[in-house]
Amino acid sequence: MPSLTLLGQSMVSGLLAGGLYALLALGLSLSWGLLRLVNLGHFALAFLGAYLTYQLGTVGGLAPWTAVLLILPLFFALGVGLHAVFAWFRVREFTSLLVTFGVTVIIESLIQWYWTADFRRYETPYASLSFRVGPLYVPALELLACLTAAALALGTWAWLRFTYVGKALRASAEDPAIAAAFGVNHRAQAFLLSGVAAAYAAVAGGYIALIATLAPSQMWAWLGVVFAVVIIGGLANPIGALFAGLLIGVSESVTMAVVAPAWAPLVSFSILIGLLILRPGRA
Amino acid sequence: MLLEARHLAIAYGDAVAVWDATLDVGDGEVVAVIGPNGAGKSTLINAVAGLLRWRAGELRLDGLDLATVPPHLICGHGIALVPEGRRLFTRMSVEENLEIGGYRGLARGARRQTLERVYGMFPILRERRQQLAGSLSGGQQQMVAIGRAVMAKPRLLLLDEPSLGLAPAVVDQMFETIRAIHDEGVAILLVEQNVARALEVADRAYVLEEGRTVASGPPSALLLEARIQEAYLGIR
Amino acid sequence: MTGHSRRVAVGLVAVGLALSGLPALGLPAFYESFLFLVFFWVSLATSWSFLSGYAGYFSFGHGAFFGAGVYTTATLTAGFAVPFLASLPAAGAVSALLAVGIGAVVFRVRRLRGELFGLLTLAITFVLATIVLNTKIDGGPGVYLSAVPLPRLVASPTGTMYLLGLGLALLSVTTAYAVTRSRLGLGLFAIHDDEDVAEVKGVPTFRYKLAAFALSAAVAGVAGGIYALYVSYVTVGETFAITVPLYVVLMSILGGARHWLGPAVGAAIITASLYAFTGGNTAVLGRAVVALALILVILLLPDGVVVAVLARGGAWRRRGASAPTMHDVAPIATAHTFRAPRVAASVDGGPVPAPTAAREGAPAVAVLVCEDVWRAFGGIQALRGVGLSLGRGEIVGLVGPNGSGKTTLINVISGHYAADRGRIALDGAPLTGRPAHAIARLGVARTYQIPRPFGHLNALDNVALAATFGTVPCTLAQARADARTWLDFTGLGRRAVALPGELNLHERKFLELARALAARPRVILLDEVLSGLNSAEMGSAISLIQEIRGRGTTILFVEHVMRAVLELSDRVVVLNEGEVIAAGRPGEVMRDPRVVEVYLGKTHAA
Repeated sequence: MPSLTLLGQSMVSGLLAGGLYALLALGLSLSWGLLRLVNLGHFALAFLGAYLTYQLGTVGGLAPWTAVLLILPLFFALGVGLHAVFAWFRVREFTSLLVTFGVTVIIESLIQWYWTADFRRYETPYASLSFRVGPLYVPALELLACLTAAALALGTWAWLRFTYVGKALRASAEDPAIAAAFGVNHRAQAFLLSGVAAAYAAVAGGYIALIATLAPSQMWAWLGVVFAVVIIGGLANPIGALFAGLLIGVSESVTMAVVAPAWAPLVSFSILIGLLILRPGRA
Repeated sequence: MLLEARHLAIAYGDAVAVWDATLDVGDGEVVAVIGPNGAGKSTLINAVAGLLRWRAGELRLDGLDLATVPPHLICGHGIALVPEGRRLFTRMSVEENLEIGGYRGLARGARRQTLERVYGMFPILRERRQQLAGSLSGGQQQMVAIGRAVMAKPRLLLLDEPSLGLAPAVVDQMFETIRAIHDEGVAILLVEQNVARALEVADRAYVLEEGRTVASGPPSALLLEARIQEAYLGIR
Repeated sequence: MTGHSRRVAVGLVAVGLALSGLPALGLPAFYESFLFLVFFWVSLATSWSFLSGYAGYFSFGHGAFFGAGVYTTATLTAGFAVPFLASLPAAGAVSALLAVGIGAVVFRVRRLRGELFGLLTLAITFVLATIVLNTKIDGGPGVYLSAVPLPRLVASPTGTMYLLGLGLALLSVTTAYAVTRSRLGLGLFAIHDDEDVAEVKGVPTFRYKLAAFALSAAVAGVAGGIYALYVSYVTVGETFAITVPLYVVLMSILGGARHWLGPAVGAAIITASLYAFTGGNTAVLGRAVVALALILVILLLPDGVVVAVLARGGAWRRRGASAPTMHDVAPIATAHTFRAPRVAASVDGGPVPAPTAAREGAPAVAVLVCEDVWRAFGGIQALRGVGLSLGRGEIVGLVGPNGSGKTTLINVISGHYAADRGRIALDGAPLTGRPAHAIARLGVARTYQIPRPFGHLNALDNVALAATFGTVPCTLAQARADARTWLDFTGLGRRAVALPGELNLHERKFLELARALAARPRVILLDEVLSGLNSAEMGSAISLIQEIRGRGTTILFVEHVMRAVLELSDRVVVLNEGEVIAAGRPGEVMRDPRVVEVYLGKTHAA
């Protein structure tokens, strides 16, 4: 049985890792829940964002935050563009899964072609920063990622809850025909939402570059965890996604500490499988 | 003439639901469309609301050809719908449902006042404003549906089978409300299976049978018509 | 064996013999290696389509079954010195068992279709990979099979691998052909188009899905076993990579997932194309091109290359002779004088001379009995203690306002939904608690108010399916012959090879009828069969229904068109808010004050 300190530390690490999962899950949860389209490409976009942040940082000398701000509008446009393809071909839920599967592989291949399959680490001076809270270490970057996740989750929740656009989005998601009968333009909103989700991917990507080691094949590793977070947290439920992320992060890292590191991926997948089978109704 | 429909033909794919419907609604009038199930009444009113497109015929609002208006802009011209089966946004609160009603530009500015008016009409909704719409009873949901349409400050209010699934006492209340709305100058087009109620509140009525308007006139005349008996009960 | 089957069999044998002669030609090993890869992917892609192509349950987990096969062979041969050839059936068996285990749980859960099934299978692959990686099966370093003796089918090792691959590919393709021509295949195709309707028409959906899944996994497992020896060093990373799931999907979709040869063609094309991008950076770009091809094919050629080519070539007859218009469809039973809609009917008696039906009270022989049936959805009580009985050869009309529970009752009787309480019996045999396909077998057939034909099956096959899964089991050939008779009966004889999308509403409604009749049911439930029809079409539908009863079938029909109800029914049952409020002869019931009140309101009833 590991010591309390070890347990405590693994919980902290888990929470912080969970924050990053939640950050990645936010955009996916929004687009799946409100647009009824499953966008596997979200992961690829995030990793593309990560690599671009890395590139702009190491070659262009830009601070990571600047880099992310720069690529945000580009990613918004990418999101809108992807949705244009969906709208043009009248793609429905299941086809979107297949098409974005393809998009993910294309982006992964392009990343590998340009940056090779070698592992890359974006070294920044912030990487070594950490706070001490009693016997526990809290790495600064991970903490920042977690806080950003919380802020975005809350902000998104507030946007959906309190603004007219947010309410219109929720209404459209439930009954687009009746929402249109009261003036809500579903098409325009869908484009807006796709752009926003892609922008979220860019932000997540920035943090991935700062925190994790980059390799093209890595994006598949996050797939299961993030889908688990989206489904557990509930579609289009930003606060749910946040808590689900934290929950999974903690369960994974405690498993790693108590059992063995290699079993960690099993946790999220098993929870996902269990939930898919047992949970009544749509996520 | 506020609304003019001429020889409308509406189909779902190739299942023709309305073959030839013609009717008029004047400013501030209450017009009812009655007829048996499957006659096409809901289809007709959905087309006026912009939920469906029509194959043939003309539909004009104040002279404007509605075929040229995209669905989400129909509301902007002053038409609001209370759909069959309510069709509330069940995962949103009562107040949020009402607010969506006031989404269109002209209504948005006056939102607060209209909301107060709606709560005045249905005090019980004020109590339950934060409650999820899906958790309300049938009668209360109907109130929300009507309130939602009122929020759009329409010139023409469309009601699709409002008494469906409601207890008689609730239906009474609801038709009182409809009268009150009418008194404020809103024109009403009402589709109802419940002939007695519809004819009580209408200025004029049309009978729709198998997708065609077969009779029209003031309620007193229609009630006596053998056609009604025939259409509903098949009895000659 | 039909002519087509004979030709295909001969073709396959010929190709098989020709290809098996290749090693004897003494060509460089490269050709055998390359063709081995083609055969390998042909087997994997074809096996994937058994469930995912035919039934539409898109699995992203083919890699799990492949990997299970790889590691079964690796463990048995390297760890337990089992002869290689003996390990192959074991590999297939393990994978099949895995599939059955997964399917037994997942196929019972109704909402796990579509994208959720895809996600689930993907997750299972990762779970399996983790388990294999962390246990003694692999443990991390991978498994070496270099010491495993290769059976000597021919002189060279590559030749032997080639022959094994060829054998498996031929087996897969032959199985695919056999399945698509069988009842299992027809059932799977129906599940693809509309699983709930397939179940109600008598297809044992759970069993069939499980069978297809197991078959698909077994072939993938054997392919994995062969592959293990081919590479002779297996690792978790390589085995469970995204390559297998991605490629089989692409190859099948490219070639045509519903056609027996489609995945094979797709596999050949992709393998050959990928070969053009070997090594280094071009391999990476090759993957991107492959994925782009997938996207384009999904968006532009959703049915696949094979189907597109065949359709263009006109070889696949989906269209009959120039389609006649609705007016050419001869109304059947011209001998019957069917009533023009406006002819007055006497109020007292019924308008139609009814051969056998009892006209008053309870019928002599009750064929279908409902007792105290209750059903609720969420908070809404749709049926409250409904009781009715149908006498043999009766036509009973079921009427009532919107929302009164008519369609719910039909759904409950036919097994679409289970009753919460109450008893339903057919000729004494209880229906409540049985799955819908069993109810269909016992003799209950229904039509849908909005026709729900199987969109990818032509009219003939729609009807043949109902015939072969109906009350009288028969072969597919017999069913198709029967189907022709039923299509003629409903006037659709000349539209036999048309797809439902090419039929107009009138024809689709009659297709529903033909489909219901082909099951040779004892009771037919008709749900608003007249809605949407014009007067002339309605007349011919009414005649048809009378003709059906004339042949001895009992009919319960839901209808709003009142004069049709009066014309056709021996008895009428009125539902309101889930309860029966009146039952009896049409003329009396429709004048009953309660009924009038329900339809017209209190003032009128006075």
